[in-house]
Amino acid sequence: MDMAFPVANATAAVLTRVSAAFNAPLARAVVFGVHIDGHLVVEGLLIAVIVFQLTRKSYKPPKKPLTEKEIDELCNEWQPEPLCPPIKEGARIDTPMLESAAGPHTIVDGKEVVNFASANYLGLIGNEKIIDSCVGSLEKYGVGSCGPRGFYGTIDVHLDCEAKIANFLGTPDSILYSYGISTIFSVIPAFCKKGDIIVADEGVHWAVQNGLHLSRSTVVYFKHNDMASLASTLEKLTRGNKRAEKIRRYIVVESIYQNSGQIAPLDEIVRLKEEYRFRVILEESHSFGVLGKSGRGLAEHYGVPIEKIDIITAGMGNALATDGGFCTGSVRVVDHQRLSSSGYVFSASLPPYLASAAVSAVNYLEENPTVLSTLRSNIALMHKELSDTPGLEISSHVLSPIVFLKLKKSTGSPTTDLDLLETITERVLKEDSVFIVTSKKSNLDRCKLPIGIRLFVSAGHTESDIFTLSNSLKRVSASVLSD
Amino acid sequence: MYPGVWTTYILILFFSWLLVLSVFGCTPGTAWTVVNLFHFAITYHFFHWKKGTPFADDQGMYNGLTWWEQMDNGKQLTRNRKFLIVVPVVLYLIALHTTDYQQPMLFLNTLAVSVLVVAKLPNMHKVRIFGINAEN
Repeated sequence: MDMAFPVANATAAVLTRVSAAFNAPLARAVVFGVHIDGHLVVEGLLIAVIVFQLTRKSYKPPKKPLTEKEIDELCNEWQPEPLCPPIKEGARIDTPMLESAAGPHTIVDGKEVVNFASANYLGLIGNEKIIDSCVGSLEKYGVGSCGPRGFYGTIDVHLDCEAKIANFLGTPDSILYSYGISTIFSVIPAFCKKGDIIVADEGVHWAVQNGLHLSRSTVVYFKHNDMASLASTLEKLTRGNKRAEKIRRYIVVESIYQNSGQIAPLDEIVRLKEEYRFRVILEESHSFGVLGKSGRGLAEHYGVPIEKIDIITAGMGNALATDGGFCTGSVRVVDHQRLSSSGYVFSASLPPYLASAAVSAVNYLEENPTVLSTLRSNIALMHKELSDTPGLEISSHVLSPIVFLKLKKSTGSPTTDLDLLETITERVLKEDSVFIVTSKKSNLDRCKLPIGIRLFVSAGHTESDIFTLSNSLKRVSASVLSD
Repeated sequence: MYPGVWTTYILILFFSWLLVLSVFGCTPGTAWTVVNLFHFAITYHFFHWKKGTPFADDQGMYNGLTWWEQMDNGKQLTRNRKFLIVVPVVLYLIALHTTDYQQPMLFLNTLAVSVLVVAKLPNMHKVRIFGINAEN
């Protein structure tokens, strides 16, 4: 403010001089009885300014097109970026290609290998009954359905499949989607809008993350499969927050997490949901047909009544060995999606032969519940065999068909970890003809869980397959990870 | 476009003058100066400092434009804009008259009003002096 004083003094001086100059000769000037002095002049000036501004006409600022010179300058300084950035050294792009169906034994590069990389949990790939029903369906309906569900794309096998799945799970109704992962990322934006609160696990896979992003809601992540973290997040969001009572709140979890093999404790989640009044969206792609006494999923496994879970989605590409997905819940939940779910309304419907394959798969599961006990004994055997692998430890749940092996001692950076694991899987494939994969993440995936080797156990694997795998893995990891 | 808005604006200024007068118990001239300065601070921040829109759905078209520049879709010297240019000058007049051109008030008032009026001139559309407030 110490600049202000000299300036203030200067203006004061100017004003006094101006008013003195005005006052002196005009002091005797009395115009119509009004005494003219400096103040009046200033005020008159200001009023003139006001009137001038008020009388200006309004106009739109003209849009000047760019001159030739400016266009040339802009073109010269533009540097084109490549459409696809050059692939960095570390990123390997040679994935093995399968040359036969992805059953428990498959052919890679002309050699027959044991396949632990396909989520074929019930061993239904290549099953006679399913292929027969597909062929029958193909002969009757052709290959595609040629339209979305709302525009002549609904065929009776779709309705049969929906009824069959709803019947199997014990829910009133279900709705089919034509692509496995588009189920979850259409369902979430159909119910969660901008301004809602979603509490999601931080280990959800990319399709769920995409759905959360598309919903434009406020997403809060809690620590992976940690119920204490979930409880504290729910408490923080709702305590003392009167506004939170009026907006819709959701919890999004997966039953078996694809990125780590953990199983979500559904009874604890349902207890928390009822205490804090949230709605649960459960993504059951890897547990449908796997968990529970008769394969009905996570709710049967924990003995939770199926009505307590608001929305259940699953992709049918895993246990049921077809493609597509379904979503089930109460009648209102399913009905809302028939008009509001993007993946249902705007995509062509599921090809009818896949829908009939799904029906046959569910029938098979109902008639042969022993396939589940085969699967469970395979998983237990796998855990027993791999528990003493040098350098790798099992970090998935004991009941999960996804057996997740991660490095006991990480090298510190995800790229070197990935290199080590890729070396192991390549050598296992080349030397012992066992096909296993690492958990690759795309650039869009923002899950921070550690990567590892992901093994999918199937009911179609024999014990000798599992022994082959464990011997090979122990040998290769001992040699790769010891140096 | 909304005559109610103009009347409300003028009434807000008048009632805040009454409020300042009753709370601080100062001369009417000082009260007008206080009102003028608060008006300057608030309208400068909202018209010429804040940029963009509060909605997320327009893909960032207006992210570089202050609210004054967005008014009436960029058309200069519409009735709204002329009214809003005139209000600070009228406030200035009243403040000057009631403080009788005394020193610290005169300087502060002049500064406030000159900044406001210059910022609202049509020649200053999309101009950023010295790059102040130029980032999106």
